[in-house]
Parts: sequence; C-alpha cells; structure tokens
Amino acid sequence: MTPLPIPLPDPLPLPMHPGALKALLLVTFTLHLMAVNLGVGGSLIAAVHALRGKPKDRELVRRLAPLLPGAVTFAITLGVAPLLFVQLTYGPFFYTASVLTAVPWLALIFLLMAGYVLLYRFVGSAGSETLHAASGIGAALLLLSVGLMLVNVTTLSLRPDLWAAQAAASPHGLRMNTLDPTLWPRYLHLGVGIVAVAGLLLAGWGAWRSHTYARQAGLRWFIATTASQAAWGTWLLVKQPAPVLDLLLDGRSAASLSLWISTALGALALLMAIPASQDGSRPQAVWAPFGLGLASTLGMILLRDQARDAALAAFGFHPGALPYKTDWLSLGVFGLTFLGLAVLLIVVLRWVMPPAASAKEEAP
Amino acid sequence: MNHPVWDLPFLGSGWIIGIISIIHVSIAHLVVGAGIWLAVMEGRAQRAADGEQQAWLRGRTKALLWLSSIFGATTGVGIWVAIGLVNPTATQHLIRAFVMAWAIEWLLFVGEMATLIALVRAYDRLQPRQRLILYWLYALCAWLSLVVINGIVAFMLSPGQGWTTTHAMWDGFFNATYLPSLLLRTFVALALGGLWALAAGGTADPALKPRILRPTALLVLAGVLLTVPAGWYYFQSFPPAARELVLGNLKGTTGLAQGFRWALLGLGAYLLPGLLVLWALFAPRSFRRPVAVLGLLLACWGFGGFEWIREVARKPFVIREVMYSNGIRVDQVAGYQANGFLPQNAWARTFAASKGDTDLAKGEAILRSQCLACHTRDGYRSLKALTATNSEEDNVLLIQGLRELDPALNPYLDRMPPFAGTEQEAEWVGKYLGSLKAK
Ligand code: HEC
Ligand code: HEM
Repeated sequence: MTPLPIPLPDPLPLPMHPGALKALLLVTFTLHLMAVNLGVGGSLIAAVHALRGKPKDRELVRRLAPLLPGAVTFAITLGVAPLLFVQLTYGPFFYTASVLTAVPWLALIFLLMAGYVLLYRFVGSAGSETLHAASGIGAALLLLSVGLMLVNVTTLSLRPDLWAAQAAASPHGLRMNTLDPTLWPRYLHLGVGIVAVAGLLLAGWGAWRSHTYARQAGLRWFIATTASQAAWGTWLLVKQPAPVLDLLLDGRSAASLSLWISTALGALALLMAIPASQDGSRPQAVWAPFGLGLASTLGMILLRDQARDAALAAFGFHPGALPYKTDWLSLGVFGLTFLGLAVLLIVVLRWVMPPAASAKEEAP
Repeated sequence: MNHPVWDLPFLGSGWIIGIISIIHVSIAHLVVGAGIWLAVMEGRAQRAADGEQQAWLRGRTKALLWLSSIFGATTGVGIWVAIGLVNPTATQHLIRAFVMAWAIEWLLFVGEMATLIALVRAYDRLQPRQRLILYWLYALCAWLSLVVINGIVAFMLSPGQGWTTTHAMWDGFFNATYLPSLLLRTFVALALGGLWALAAGGTADPALKPRILRPTALLVLAGVLLTVPAGWYYFQSFPPAARELVLGNLKGTTGLAQGFRWALLGLGAYLLPGLLVLWALFAPRSFRRPVAVLGLLLACWGFGGFEWIREVARKPFVIREVMYSNGIRVDQVAGYQANGFLPQNAWARTFAASKGDTDLAKGEAILRSQCLACHTRDGYRSLKALTATNSEEDNVLLIQGLRELDPALNPYLDRMPPFAGTEQEAEWVGKYLGSLKAK
C-alpha cells in the first residue's frame, strides 16, 4: 500500500504548548457554538413561530427577533478564533480537506451573507404588521447550510484514506464529502442539537423574564429535537471508523466516559424537561433540564475533540507531540489586550444593563 | 505546493482572492475611517447641543453595524477561506508565524463588534458622555485592528533580515514598510469613511446638511491630501528589488505592465474625490449623494490599484525572499532540484498516479503544483497562449532554463520562481506544455 498523501507540517514551531492551544481551541469553539445555537437555532424557532402566526407566537417573535442578528454576528466573530486554532494545530488535514471540497467550502461565505441579509429582513419586519415568515425560514435554512459546509470539511479532514479517491473524483473541488458515511448523521446530529440548545436558551430566558409561553415553547422544542437524537446520535455512532468506535465503546477511556456521561446527562435533561413543560409547572423547574442540557452539550464538545484525535491517531498524527517554542512576549501582549477588553466589556455591560426592576416585568 | 491544488480553470484561483479581498479591504478601511468620523462628529454635536444631528448620527451608527457585520465580517472570513484554498502552504506558514498577532487582532475585532452593538441596541439607556466614550472606543478598537493586521501584510513585502534569522514574531511585525504602510492606510481609511459619510449626508435634511457636510468634506480632503506624501514615503521604504520591479513594469509591454497602467490610472483617480468634496465644502446645500458615491468608487479603484501594486511588488514571492507564490520556500529549491520534486510531494505523486504515472501525467502534476498559482492552462495568463509558437523542444529548454538560479542566466527570475525539480522533471513539464496545443 502506498503511504497516504498527508502533507508535511510547516517547519515553524507552535507559539505555545499544544495543550494550551487545544484549550484555546475548545474554549473559543464552545463560545462559537453557543452563539450559533442562539443565533441560528433561534432564527429557526422564531421563523416557525412566525409561520404559526397566532398572537402569542407573534408576540414571542417580536421579543426574540432583535436578539438574533447580534447573536449571528457573534457566531461569526467567535468562529474566526477556532478557525485560526484549527489551522494551527491540524493544518495538514484541514487545508487538504478544504481544497478537496473547495467549491462547497467557498460557498459558505455566500450562504452566510445571503442568510444574514434575509435575517435582517425578517427581524426588520418583526416590529411591523406584516411579518416576513418566509424570510425567516429562508434565513434559518441558509444559516443551517453554513453548518453543513463546516461538517463537510471537518469530516473529510478526518479521513485521509478517502482523499485520493475524492481528489480523483473531483479535480476541481466540486464534490461534497459524500464518500464518508458520517457526513449526514453528523450534520443531522449537530443541526438538531443547535435547535435543541436554542430551545433550552429560550426556556431559560422565559423563566428569567417570567414569560410563560417562551418557557414552555422552548422546552417543547428541546424535547422534540432531543428525543430525535436517539436516531441521529446512534446513526452517527455506528458509522464511526473502527478505531474510533472501539475507543468509544470500551467503557474505560476518557472518550468513552465523555460519550456515556454526556448521553446520560442529555437523557436526564429530556426526562426532566417533560414535566417542566406542562401547564401549571413552576418556572424554576426549567433550571434542572437547562443545566443538565448545557452540561451534556459541553460533554459532547469534549467528546468531539477526543474522537477527532482518536481518528487522526490512527493515521499517526498526535497534536500533543507537535514542536513548540513559547513566545512569551506575544502572550503578554495578548493577555494585556484581553484584560483591557474584559474591563471594557464589564464597564459597558454595567452601563447598558436594564435596571433590575424592569427585568421582572410581566409579559402581556 | 505541498498540499493538493485547487485547479480552477480559465480564471485561475488567484482571482478569487483578488475579488474577495478588494471588497473586504475597502470595507475594512472604510469602517475604520467611519468610526473616527462618527466619534468626531458626535463630540461636535454634543458640544453644540445639536440633538437633530445626534439623532442623524444614530442612524449612521446602525448603518455602520449593518455594513461591518454583514459585509465586513463575512468577507473577512471569506479571505481566510480563499487564501487557505488558493495557497494553503503559504497560509499555514503565515499562521504559524503570526498566530498571536491574529489572536490580538481578533480580540480587537470582538471589541469593535461589542461596542458597536452596545451603541445600537442600548443607545437610549446611555448617558451622552458614555455614548461618546463608546464611540471613541469603537474607533480605537477599529484602528488598532488595522495597526495589527498592517504588520502582517507589510511583512509579506519586506520580512527583513531579522525575522529570517530569528523567526521571532515581533522582528517580522515591525518591518521596513510597517510605519509608512500604517500611515498610508490610516489616511486612506479617513478618505473612504468620510466619502461614505458624505454619501449619507447627501440626502440629509436641508437644514442639517451644511452642519454635516462641511466638517466631513474637510476630513476627506485631509485624508486624500495626506495620502500623497504617505504614499511617497511608503514607496521609498520598499526593498530595492521590489522598487525596481515596479519601475521596470511601468515601461514594459507584458500583461503585467498593462495591469500596472490600470493601477496607476487608479492612483490618479484617487485624487479626484479631493476635488469633488470641494462642492460639499462650499455649496453643501446643492451637494448630492451620487457625487459622493462616484468619489467613493474612484477612491476604491485607487486603493485597489495600490493593493495590486503592493501584491505584484513581492512577485514572484508570497513572502519576499522566504516563500515563492507557489508555496515553495526558497530554502527548499536546492533539495528539490537535486533529489526531485515528485519524491518529496505526496499530492503531486497522488495526482500523477491517478493518471497512470505517464510522463505527461507527471509533467501535469508538477505543473499543477508549481505553476497554477500564477497561470491557467487556457484562460488567465494562459500557458497554452504563452507557448503557442514553441516546439516541444523549446518548451523543454525553457523549463530547464528556469532551473537556473542566477538572474544573469535566467531572465524570468523577476516574475517567476525557479523551477524546483530535476532536469528530468523539467523535461516532463516541457512535454506537458507542448501537449496543451493539441487540446
Ligand atoms: C509567481 C507567479 C508565476 C509562477 C509561479 C509561474 N509563472 Fe510563468 N509567468 C509569470 C509571469 C508574470 C509571466 C509573464 C506573463 C506575461 O508576459 O504576460 C510568465 C510567463 C511565462 C511564460 C512565457 C515566457 C515568455 O517567454 O514569454 C511561460 C512559458 C511560463 N510563464 C511558464 C511557467 C511554468 C511552466 C511555470 C511553472 C513551472 C510558471 N510559469 C510559474 C508568472 C509566474
Ligand atoms: C452562522 C452559521 C454557522 C453555523 C450554523 C455553524 C455551525 C458549526 C457546527 C455545527 C460546527 C461543528 C462541525 C463539526 O463538528 O463537524 C462548527 C464548527 C466550526 N465553525 Fe461554525 N458555524 C457557523 C458559522 C461559522 C463561521 C462564519 C466560522 C468562521 C469564522 C465558523 C468557524 C467554525 C470552525 C473553525 C469550526 C471547527 C472547530 C473545530 O473543528 O474544532 N463557523 N460550526
């Protein structure tokens, strides 16, 4: 067998310990995904309620819509950081995958822009009489298809064994990573998860702002989507390449523990969300499924990373072993900028936070 | 190129970067200038207790958020996507060298977005003083992000001896063209931001119009006029070889020289808005939006011309004296010439194997890796057209001649990298070039 075409790593050392870079990748990716949940999942939820069009749905949309463009702005902004760190650590895999599926990858930008314009249109209409539900649905679908482009490159980057065939089948980079059986289940699992977390965030917001309908509707979104994960999650699991599947099922490794613990947390969140969504339930009942659901998501983010490293280890790549030379000066400048920014944000938040009294106003 | 090649027929993949970056770079400079303009104007309006003008500026703030979040941020991501596709090897090298600078730039960008969103969404809850502070903080974050990215862009033209030996980030960051480039870009930002503001002011209420247009016109005028000495200073700071390349092309007749003429016309066009804004200054009531839009387009043309010249001035390198445009590092050339390119490049081998490992397949594989960064087979800078009158023998000799590292013997070294492969590999490429004629 000829060796796989994995490009050589760049000769320059990493600027800090690869473990520190991994931590930065995971933290910024988590922030990115949370903003995606709110902005993209929230857009879908808002658009569906706009489509239903009952007065309480319209009122909900009116409250929710103004949050969405800002959340998408942050989804993009916060996405840039993991984009940087992924390239730094996983460069040879990431670049190869993106070139082999270049056209869908580049299309991401145009899908994003179009989705964003439609979202602004939808949000702009939320204050007026005629609600453009169709724009909202269009925006949500376009933004969700951005996620597909990311899953497409991520999955391909983990399968060097498929690269030569992909390159031969598609010399101009037109094809998606359809040779890989994990593409669709992974996308469904993640896309449905985005809507589920958006539902949880909506429910939490409803409990905080004493908005009963938001609380119940949010939990119902969470329940329906999370229940369906029994199908998508299982499908994704069984399609993992053998070394990853073995690791995930061994019941001992960190990756396996992440899998079972976060699945259990998610299932528990689901079970507790059902009574909490009934009429007459106490608003505080939201917080248990809310906390468990978010904990499950964090576990899944860890799992995703462990599964990636397991997949690449099978091809002889170990990010922890990359050469590095710590650049303290740059780290110092970065740290100072970070501190300055954090202070700034705290001050600004204190200026702009609505006074506590008005936060408790009862929804009409 | 150590990575697979994105083979984009006719246009050539480089144009993707060109198109996305010219849009992004124009918007990015515009929002820096617009941020400074907003802060200055808000301060004036507050001191004059001019509520009408403050309300109008609030509308501009919203428009700026719209512009920078929808088009600025997405095209910024677009550049990342495009450079990674077109030149992954170079992108990886730059990221390794400058990741901390980008991380700092990213923090500043988060600051930009956060201050702007706070201004738009919580305008009514802010005291006028707090509002003004936020306007200035936005302007500061936006300008500082230029301060950071400028270091990396300038590095590619003039990395400097220091970095080449130490590979320490700040040695590369503060390089010979850093300061002049920063000054130049700051003045361009003022001009672009001011023209954008004039376009909005052109439709303002007649009573309000002069109060907006006069100071704004002065800002544009200052930006345009200051760009001239800054541009001169910038050009003087070029590495001598880059300056010669630019001056040499002013006289030439190649395709490149034609591009230069367009760029130079653009530099002339950049000055015209300086005249157009006199209208806004002296007869603000009759000033109309289309005039400002025209000025903005002319200025973008000029700025695009400048960026194009800067890109060409580092040819045939992506990072001058460090890495060629095709992703081959200068220090790799000798090894490839002695031991062969194919044995050391998995992706070129994979491509050749997929086509049966014939001589032509190997030639095409090497050509994809070493030439498609600047050429296409039959579109932009077409290899078929450039070799139309050559015999196969001529082609082989041409490529074998490209192996020569001495500029006296290889006249192409000012626009093309040396051929990084053995005599035998050069022959395969020459044969493949000859085969293009039949297609
Ligand atoms: C850094 C960009 C760059 C790279 C890489 C590059 N070229 Fe060129 N090449 C140029 C430019 C610029 C010209 C001049 C084009 C013109 O005159 O319009 C040129 C001209 C040519 C010509 C015409 C020469 C003549 O006598 O007029 C040939 C043939 C050619 N290139 C072949 C190649 C081959 C084969 C490779 C790969 C081994 C290659 N080039 C790599 C930029 C490049
Ligand atoms: C707004 C629409 C977006 C959605 C719905 C979205 C969704 C997602 C999803 C589902 C993943 C996980 C992919 C996987 O594991 O297979 C992901 C990862 C990622 N996203 Fe986004 N994203 C969006 C926008 C962006 C943008 C604009 C950027 C770049 C600036 C970005 C950067 C990233 C990066 C770098 C990763 C991979 C992180 C890693 O592999 O650790 N995303 N995104």
